Amino acid sequence: MASAAPSRIARSAALPVRSTTEPAWVRRSLITVALLFLGLFLLVPLIAVFAEGLAKGFAAYFKAFADEATLSALKLTLIAAAIAVPLNLVFGVAAAWCIAKFDFRGKNLLITLIDLPFSVSPVISGLIYVLLFGAQGLLGPWLMDRDIQIIFAVPGIVLATIFVTFPFVARELIPLMQAQGRIEEEAALVLGASGWQTFWRVTLPNIKWGLLYGVILCNARAMGEFGAVSVVSGHIRGQTNTLPLHIEILYNEYNFVAAFAVASLLCLLALVTLALKTWVEWKGAQLRPEHD
Amino acid sequence: MSIEVRDITKTFGTFHALKSVNLEVRSGELLALLGPSGSGKTTLLRIIAGLEFADTGSGQIFFNGEDVTHLQASQRKAGFAFQHYALFRHMTVFENIAFGLRVRPKETRPTDAEISRRVTELLQLVQLEPLGNRYPSQLSGGQRQRVALARALAVEPKVLLLDEPFGALDAKVRKELRRWLRRLHDDIHVTSIFVTHDQEEALEVADRVVVMNEGRIEQIGTPTEVYDHPANTFVFHFLGNVNLFGGRLAEGKVHVGDTTIQVRNPETFDEKPASVYFRPHDVRITRQPEGPGGIPARVRHVNSAGPIVRVELQRFDDQTRFEVDLNREQARLLNLKAEDEVFVHLEKVRIFTDDKQLQADDYTI
Repeated sequence: MASAAPSRIARSAALPVRSTTEPAWVRRSLITVALLFLGLFLLVPLIAVFAEGLAKGFAAYFKAFADEATLSALKLTLIAAAIAVPLNLVFGVAAAWCIAKFDFRGKNLLITLIDLPFSVSPVISGLIYVLLFGAQGLLGPWLMDRDIQIIFAVPGIVLATIFVTFPFVARELIPLMQAQGRIEEEAALVLGASGWQTFWRVTLPNIKWGLLYGVILCNARAMGEFGAVSVVSGHIRGQTNTLPLHIEILYNEYNFVAAFAVASLLCLLALVTLALKTWVEWKGAQLRPEHD
Repeated sequence: MSIEVRDITKTFGTFHALKSVNLEVRSGELLALLGPSGSGKTTLLRIIAGLEFADTGSGQIFFNGEDVTHLQASQRKAGFAFQHYALFRHMTVFENIAFGLRVRPKETRPTDAEISRRVTELLQLVQLEPLGNRYPSQLSGGQRQRVALARALAVEPKVLLLDEPFGALDAKVRKELRRWLRRLHDDIHVTSIFVTHDQEEALEVADRVVVMNEGRIEQIGTPTEVYDHPANTFVFHFLGNVNLFGGRLAEGKVHVGDTTIQVRNPETFDEKPASVYFRPHDVRITRQPEGPGGIPARVRHVNSAGPIVRVELQRFDDQTRFEVDLNREQARLLNLKAEDEVFVHLEKVRIFTDDKQLQADDYTI
């Protein structure tokens, strides 16, 4: 190994082109293919959304947001995200803490369970809640007796959103916390810190960028979720429609301008999320101390 | 503060890390736990610190006679230095050292001014005064370990526990830092236990050395005691280089090649194998036979880099290879080269039969 290194350096000094570089035509055609693909599948649809939304001018575009049903859908989406994201933040941190810092039986089972929402179709996630809480469901009669409605109401939408977005924070944190190990926590403990102090002063600062990243992804999915929410929502206009569901209704009613205007709102959210995500990644990488 | 470990056993699954270990640490001493990896030394240290707990019902730990077996690490008030430092990576050096003071409950927490004074003092003690505002990632390994020591000392622990404190450092820094630790201990006199697998480090720094192997303590003693009077073959092997010649005990004599060792008080006259151990420097080499008892051997290799000259030899009779250390003067006079034929005279040996050592004054060469 050691004797091979100098000769490699000498060779690379003699040849200006690195050995991994392909001929120019290969590079150009690969880049062209990649750009064409990106343009066709990402850029064109994105432009189309905004173009269709603005097809009848800015007045018609903004009028779409003045509609009461749209505002109600926006409100419901924000409520669902506002409940689901903080809850999943707490669940995610707790689950990751548990898995990364302790050894116990059934740890792998727990990791598998956390991944469950990713591995089942969102429609099935929604159906589970219908089967549990619906009128013909397991707990339906009991809930009906007490006049509690979950399916085709806001609680069902929130529950479905929580279920579908559960893995984001935990999945982000588990590898990070496992890599960091528990040695800093041990150091804090022998210095007399309580468990709570250790969490706030040592664990949390070490995971904050990963946590923020998970929260951003979780929020994006919470606001954009369609399948699971669609099953439990019942599509009651002005009451149980979230933005993605509302867009579908508008589109089915041939109200294209309004449909694409609302869709552009979700696109904007996605772009902001992307920007935030990039910033967090950059910031996290910048502040992460290099390892020996 | 004195520490007593009484009958501690620890198992991880089916692995027995510690087997009924007893140990007393005297107040103010610097004790080394020495052993190969897997000998249980780090586990013992972590159990003393409260980071690990012994098997339920297996034994007790006392600090100054007070039972702390069931106290959490945060309540034992032991200073602990980790092999890989475990500095808080998002805090400056200053905040790292101040951490133990800042997390105290309000009633006992010093004021900010007091904390600042104390941290500055400790930075002086570990000779890192200008680096208070740096982050751990900006420090060298030696500096990080000194910060870790300052952090451990900030809470004024009654006992200092160090887990392979210099294990991750390069040889030169390692040497400097262990002398520095010795001086520091002479200044502050806090009862200290440090874990190491490096016998040279243990023998140089510690007041007493505890040699561990496979979850048991093999021997406890001052560096001189364990080096000069090893309790068994393991300790003898572990503390420095050693050569082994196979011999036979018969009729009060041990025969090693042509050398005969008189055993004055053999426990038995039964003929049985005897292992003859000797250190590489307890040997004399001559070019001529010089009387009876010299073992003829061939020089295989001479390594003369460093303060001692290491000669590798091979016996003519049974082809056993062994090493001899010469000082530079002896080497110059002998002027050995590979393939030279010489005679080896054992000057000091240890004889074990069935892993039992014959008493040193019971035999003469």
